[in-house]
Amino acid sequence: MEKTKPKFNWKRECRMLPGYLVVLLYVGFMVVMLSWIIGASLSTSREILTGKVLNFESGFHWENYITAWKTQNVSIFFGNSLLYSVVSCAGVLLIAAPSAYVLSRWHFTGSRLIRVALVLSMSVPAIMIIMPLYTLAVRWGIRGRILLIALYIFMRVPYTAIYMLDFFATLSHDYEEAAAIDGCSAGRTFWVIMLPLIQPAIITVTIFNFLSVWNEFFMALIFTSSKEMTPVGVGLLQIVNSMKYSGNYGGMFAAVIIVFLPTFLLYLVMSRRIISGVTAGGVKG
Amino acid sequence: MKKNKTLIFLFIAPTVICLLLMYVYPVFRTVIMSFFQVEDLTADLSDWSFNGVDNYIKIFHTAGFITSLKNFLAIWIVGGAITLSLAMLMAAILTSGIRFQGFFRAAIYLPNVVSAVALATMWVQYIFNYDYGLLNQFVTMLGFDKIRWLGTDGKLWAMIAAYIYGSIGYYMLIYISGIEGIPADLYESATINGASKSTQFFRITLPLLKGIIRTTITFWTINAATFYLWSKLFSPVQTEGSTIVPVVYLYDTVFGGKGVVTRDAGAGAAVGVVLTLIIIAVYLLTDRLLRSNDLEY
Repeated sequence: MEKTKPKFNWKRECRMLPGYLVVLLYVGFMVVMLSWIIGASLSTSREILTGKVLNFESGFHWENYITAWKTQNVSIFFGNSLLYSVVSCAGVLLIAAPSAYVLSRWHFTGSRLIRVALVLSMSVPAIMIIMPLYTLAVRWGIRGRILLIALYIFMRVPYTAIYMLDFFATLSHDYEEAAAIDGCSAGRTFWVIMLPLIQPAIITVTIFNFLSVWNEFFMALIFTSSKEMTPVGVGLLQIVNSMKYSGNYGGMFAAVIIVFLPTFLLYLVMSRRIISGVTAGGVKG
Repeated sequence: MKKNKTLIFLFIAPTVICLLLMYVYPVFRTVIMSFFQVEDLTADLSDWSFNGVDNYIKIFHTAGFITSLKNFLAIWIVGGAITLSLAMLMAAILTSGIRFQGFFRAAIYLPNVVSAVALATMWVQYIFNYDYGLLNQFVTMLGFDKIRWLGTDGKLWAMIAAYIYGSIGYYMLIYISGIEGIPADLYESATINGASKSTQFFRITLPLLKGIIRTTITFWTINAATFYLWSKLFSPVQTEGSTIVPVVYLYDTVFGGKGVVTRDAGAGAAVGVVLTLIIIAVYLLTDRLLRSNDLEY
């Protein structure tokens, strides 16, 4: 959508002053909050407690980040979250993309039912499924990182399939017909020709899957049984809780920043794509 | 195009397994479990004993659950009214031809992208902190005494305020996409006929956004009913009456927590079913009240 920028016009801008104030207030608050947290992550606990965070009288205390990363186990949490996000993003594509494709191409026994089930599954609250899933995990002896990876993959399948379905539906059947004439099998046609054609959709849906897995908290809390498999959200909660005993405020705020940064940086680069994806996805009423 | 049955089967099977394993089976089992006396989640089916609606009667006679429902209502109604109105206000501002709207949209949506645990920690450990927090610095600057924002009385509202701040952006984006879908000539002719900006908003924008408002109410209801993370971070170690919400109650009942004598998976399942029924009821109600009368434009 190309928009022509209106010429600067004092009268017009003045009429919008209240509007500017509202959004500036919101953004200003965020800037203050983030700068203070960054300041605190580079300060000593004493400076934080006495309210002298942004003076940096004793310099920048980068060692807070080293403490957080090493002694407070953020490196483990971070690695786990990265593993969960990357592996689930790939896994969910492998499951959802082929299904979305056949659903968009053919009507077959149960295809309508599967579509409806996918849409309904997106709005099933986690509380309705975690209890039996917990039972299954215990009974089948599935533990550790693989359990959370499997759960995250399954958690994202409905959204991913529905999102990709719409994109496959827009592709012309000519591609497949041409491929068939050239003797390309249907399966190969999908992986080599059709899937790459919806690359923009794959990127968008993967960003959303990544954000969702990185920020997931509820299932992580329930299914995390050891430090070795703790992702960042639950790990940060543990750091905050142990603060009362360690008294290391600087380290805690450094941990907050480390957890905050990855998705923040992703957003800085991808904000346009993310924003247009929020409303383009499932939001159709 | 020719139907290739083997291909269809191979391509659809993993998703069907996912649906059955992750959604269909667990939902049915949770519903059934809510009618049984089950203490431990890992108990064998043979240890389940049918007890009708006793689990439901039990939870509605438990003080903790009733308190959590009251807190849910506060979050849902007060939080919802404020969030959705502010989101609508922001959406109206950011579609009115303001400068830097791309930047503002991105900035206001930002809290939805970053880790909510990190965000909630910022609020608890900085904004609301008694000793060095932003709000108390502001209060002392104005010459007043420091306030215990996270005291028993204020904690729920402090939590709701922080949650609202982070949620506005999402609903704002939905409203913006709705507003941008309204044809510009409607506003042009309204302007020619002398309708003010606010008249246009109430007479054109709002009525045409009915369907979208309905959607956002449903989303908000789901988020309020399954509210958990913020409550956990505002009362991290021990569940407190001031911030307990139904899902926290469910978690403590099923997985154990301070003050829970015997675990009760059956009661936990009943809490889940009650929350789901609330969501469905709200959905059906808003669907009836705000039926979009298929306006053609």
